[in-house]
Amino acid sequence: MRAMARWIRADLRASAGRALAVAGVVAGVVTALLLSAALLQGTTNPWQGLFTASRGAHIWLHLAPSTPVRQLSSEVPGIDAIAGPYPATAATVLHGDQRTRVELRAMNTQLPAIGKPIVTSGRWLTGSQVHGVVLESTFAQAMHVSEGDMLVLQSVEETARLRVRVTGIAETSDQGFYPDQTPGLIWVLPGLLRQIEPIVGRTEEIVGLRIAEPAATDVVVQQVVTQLGSSAVGTVSTWQQVKQSMARRDPLLGLLLALFGLMSLGAAVLAIVNVTSGRVLIQNAELGMLKTLGFTPGQVMTMLTAEHAILTVGGVVVGLIAARLLTPVLLGRVPGVSPATAIVPSGWALLIMGATAAAALLATAVPAWQAGRVRPIAAVRAHPPGRHLSRLASTAMAARMPPAIVLGARAAFVRRLSAALTIVGLAIPMLMITIGLGFWSTLDDVQRNPADIGLAASLTVAPGSLPLPQAQRLLRTDPQVQAYYGCVRASALVPGQTTTITTLGMGTSARPYPFHVVEGRLYHAPEQAVATQALLDSLGLNVGQFVRMWFGGVPVTFHIVGRIIDPQYDGEVLAYGTDTLADEGAPAPVGFFSVVLRPGVSPQAAAAKLSRASAARLDVEQVVNPANQLGIVHVALASLIAVLSLIGLASLLTASLLGHRDHQRDLGVLRAMGLTPVQVRATLIVRTTVLALVAIVIGVSLGRMVSTTLVSAVSQLYGLGAGIGRPPALGTIGTAAVLALAAAALAGTLPARTALPAVAVLGP
Amino acid sequence: MIGDSQRLLLRATGLTKTFSGDGVVLPAVRGVDLRVPQGEFVAITGPSGSGKSTLLHMLGGLERPTSGEIWLDGQRVDGLSQARWAVLRRRHIGFVFQFFNLVSNMTVADNVELAALMGGATRRQAQARRQELLAELDLAAKADAAPTRLSGGEQQRVALARAMANKPSLLLADEPTGNLDSASSSAVLRLLANAHASGQAILLVTHDSRVASAADRVISLFDGTVVDDVPMSVVHTPMPLPDVLRLRG
Amino acid sequence: MHGYVTMKIRCCWPARQQASTGGRGYAMRMPLLALLAKEPAHGYELKSQLEQIFGEAYPTPNIGQIYVTLQRLERDGLVQSQDVVQATRPNKRVYELTGAGREALLSWIDRTSEGPRVRDDFFMKLVLSQMSGTSDRLGLINRQRRHYLGQMRSLTDLAAVTSSQIPRLLIEGAILHLQADLDWLQRCQEELV
Repeated sequence: MRAMARWIRADLRASAGRALAVAGVVAGVVTALLLSAALLQGTTNPWQGLFTASRGAHIWLHLAPSTPVRQLSSEVPGIDAIAGPYPATAATVLHGDQRTRVELRAMNTQLPAIGKPIVTSGRWLTGSQVHGVVLESTFAQAMHVSEGDMLVLQSVEETARLRVRVTGIAETSDQGFYPDQTPGLIWVLPGLLRQIEPIVGRTEEIVGLRIAEPAATDVVVQQVVTQLGSSAVGTVSTWQQVKQSMARRDPLLGLLLALFGLMSLGAAVLAIVNVTSGRVLIQNAELGMLKTLGFTPGQVMTMLTAEHAILTVGGVVVGLIAARLLTPVLLGRVPGVSPATAIVPSGWALLIMGATAAAALLATAVPAWQAGRVRPIAAVRAHPPGRHLSRLASTAMAARMPPAIVLGARAAFVRRLSAALTIVGLAIPMLMITIGLGFWSTLDDVQRNPADIGLAASLTVAPGSLPLPQAQRLLRTDPQVQAYYGCVRASALVPGQTTTITTLGMGTSARPYPFHVVEGRLYHAPEQAVATQALLDSLGLNVGQFVRMWFGGVPVTFHIVGRIIDPQYDGEVLAYGTDTLADEGAPAPVGFFSVVLRPGVSPQAAAAKLSRASAARLDVEQVVNPANQLGIVHVALASLIAVLSLIGLASLLTASLLGHRDHQRDLGVLRAMGLTPVQVRATLIVRTTVLALVAIVIGVSLGRMVSTTLVSAVSQLYGLGAGIGRPPALGTIGTAAVLALAAAALAGTLPARTALPAVAVLGP
Repeated sequence: MIGDSQRLLLRATGLTKTFSGDGVVLPAVRGVDLRVPQGEFVAITGPSGSGKSTLLHMLGGLERPTSGEIWLDGQRVDGLSQARWAVLRRRHIGFVFQFFNLVSNMTVADNVELAALMGGATRRQAQARRQELLAELDLAAKADAAPTRLSGGEQQRVALARAMANKPSLLLADEPTGNLDSASSSAVLRLLANAHASGQAILLVTHDSRVASAADRVISLFDGTVVDDVPMSVVHTPMPLPDVLRLRG
Repeated sequence: MHGYVTMKIRCCWPARQQASTGGRGYAMRMPLLALLAKEPAHGYELKSQLEQIFGEAYPTPNIGQIYVTLQRLERDGLVQSQDVVQATRPNKRVYELTGAGREALLSWIDRTSEGPRVRDDFFMKLVLSQMSGTSDRLGLINRQRRHYLGQMRSLTDLAAVTSSQIPRLLIEGAILHLQADLDWLQRCQEELV
């Protein structure tokens, strides 16, 4: 026992590099997986944590002002408590040169029992600060507003204008994250609300209902709407909607990260197998000597496995610590994810650590068994098999090709199994890196060409206090504006659905908004509409079918003629020409303009200009590209690529060391036969590089093929529907491939940098 | 003198090699002069540590002399770069080491052919040369074997074939029978003698006096310097069988 | 051929037994000449010198054997003796080297050693070379080596043309012995030069 420990200690000291490689691979994988899990947690379940902490309401209703709600609890069974009613109104907030639409909600200084906002910074509203407001945290993050800042609140008509101070930031579980959920939410004191909007008729009432049986939400909603009358009910949102909205990123990121996690594990296993069996081959003689000293095969296997167990445990611990340290740093940047909610549950953490450790130990099983089998008289070290010079090789030599290339390329494949393992061990990371770069370029493309996901318009302009014709004229005459479309946003009730859906009239049937249609066609006539995959799924429809919905009591039948990609409203969008509603006589409330700018014009500049031109009476908002919110994915991808590179490098270095050891015995002969020292060194470099080249070609081609399909599959899950996948940019892939090759060449030189012996080594 | 040096295949003057490192200075070869005419068979003997191998490696360009001159076929070669030496070795020099003579991941036949190919032969020529050499060595049957499957003696014979595959002007061998039993040694000796008979110049290092005595000249090296240079024709007289018994007495 | 060889072997054996100078001990003639070449000495002095030089390697001959050899040398004219009168002790006989003796000594040294006791012969030459005034040990060794090499060559040539097994084995044996001798020569060179 002591002897085994002694040997393990000596061996670890002697081959510190290899030990570090194994431990490093394990640590890297554990860190990556734990970070992914934390991210997953943060994006999957922020709702759950928030809801529990805030004792949230299951149903939120936007009602007409002065709607009586007291009797709801008695008349509708299942309601436990009612929050509110809170008066709310629309307003505009000015911060710097940003004008943004907001919803002001009046609440008391006393935090309510149901649906309580959780203050994360600063304080809640107090009586002492009349002009103090509390911002919802994701809104505050997006606006870059923090506690203590000054804002200007303005009523929609611009009749009232107030300077307010942000006294606190709070999180809430009653609506989704900004900017998915617009407008942003600001809590104010009732007095302040009345100052902004004194006319009660222009305010809404917000009521929250907490029910006994969350599963029966739909039933309760039906009953409540019936009770209150559909004319009094503006919008209804349920906890399922909010949860889904908060977790909107879940499928995309979750799948991405789970996929990468699994494949990282696989690649790590391969890398460790490579490193360990390479080591057994290299140290063949030494292991044989152990047998001579009296260790049984079982003991040799145990020693090797024990050594690796130590390295694995060390790697896991380091990985755990690194993940703990990195989580707040990386996740602090994600909008909508609070690091507090991103703690990996201990069950998952243990699973990850256990799985990685098991995989790492499994990877040593076969090499350890090989080590046990080494014969005591291993003075004859493991030789590479002597194979024929293939016809190709000898023709190449005869054709005066550089001998370094011929001999090096040949030597790469002499050990068949080892070459295969190395190639696979490198191809998998390259495959994953390619897929990752595919995701990256998809994101970049979405960011650069928002039109592809239906965001052709960069600005949304509401007339505000400007009369409509004037607004139109401004837009018409502005040289930066390429086109503008009159739009309406209308809520509709669909039979069988418990909540209203928001539909969009975008442009007219004659001149429709330029959606990016991926299936079918755009609407050309009234009562034709296009919809997103998510909406089609939730309504159970296909392109070509008909659907009837009620707009404020007026039924309209739509013919779905096409499918678009649009991320707004959780990806559920139904769009048609505004004339459809006008024809049917349905109410067409809020109108706005979708403005498409000329190419090359910065939205911010155009927005500022329009704002100035209209003397700040136009409400100009920039359209938010959701791709811009996915900055975390870039970070996650970058770190995953780093881990994969580490794993690939481990395989490369082992291949290089093994090649070097085989090569050592031949150095003298090769020099004697007339290879220059440069050529001799080059042989070794070529050997490693050829293997890497094959692996890169395989990995990259497979990756390119799979990448687009994968992105489409993921975005379908996400609800965007197929069609946004982009293959990785050739330039990026090319750079990655070149870097990988360079790393291979460098790995080839590392052992060869030891001084070339001028004379052949005397004696085995 | 000038005419004399042109007949010489190899001429070395004042060859010195001193190894120094870690504060230790080790003079291995101290001022050795050497002359090898075309087609001569020279043996270098001496105890271990006398600098024989170092001398040989210097003459083959595998070690750079600390000082001295080496002339090969009338051309000064001691200052050549490694690349130029490599070209020289491809076409003019064959080198046999004591160990590790064959590329381990190639068959026997390919080892020999590789040397021929590097020497400038075509594929067909290389193949023919290989067949010829292996047949002469009684190793034709093992042509497709991996080097590690051969015994030490067989490996050394293949090494010789490899060294001669490119038809070098000078064959340098370091203890070619060092690890061999007497049967293999005889085979190697026979091959060397045949090569010599065909006009091959050979310079070999050995402590096997049987091999040494087969040479045209025996140079004794001791402590890095030449102590004796024996032309064998002078000392050797034919011995009839009865005298053998008298020897043993 | 076979019978001839057998006969030869038989008649060599007795020859071997006669080879030495009689009884135990080594051939003393040349060592004594070498010692006397340095300076004249009498019997007991010679004995103690021999003991000093060879004492551990060979058993020292007794004083009687030494005197016998000295008388024989005198008879052959290689040394001459003189009685030196001593006051309190009996006369001692002092020997010194003659011219002929010196010549015999030099020719012995120059001659390559042969025969059955070759090692002893050569070894003594090597060891005594300093005293005998010929300090060219290296030359001594070189000469012996050349001789051996020549023999080796002859033997290998002979082996090449001998087809029958027994003589070839005999030759092989001689070769191996020669190799051993050459190796020993090398050792002597390392130690004594």
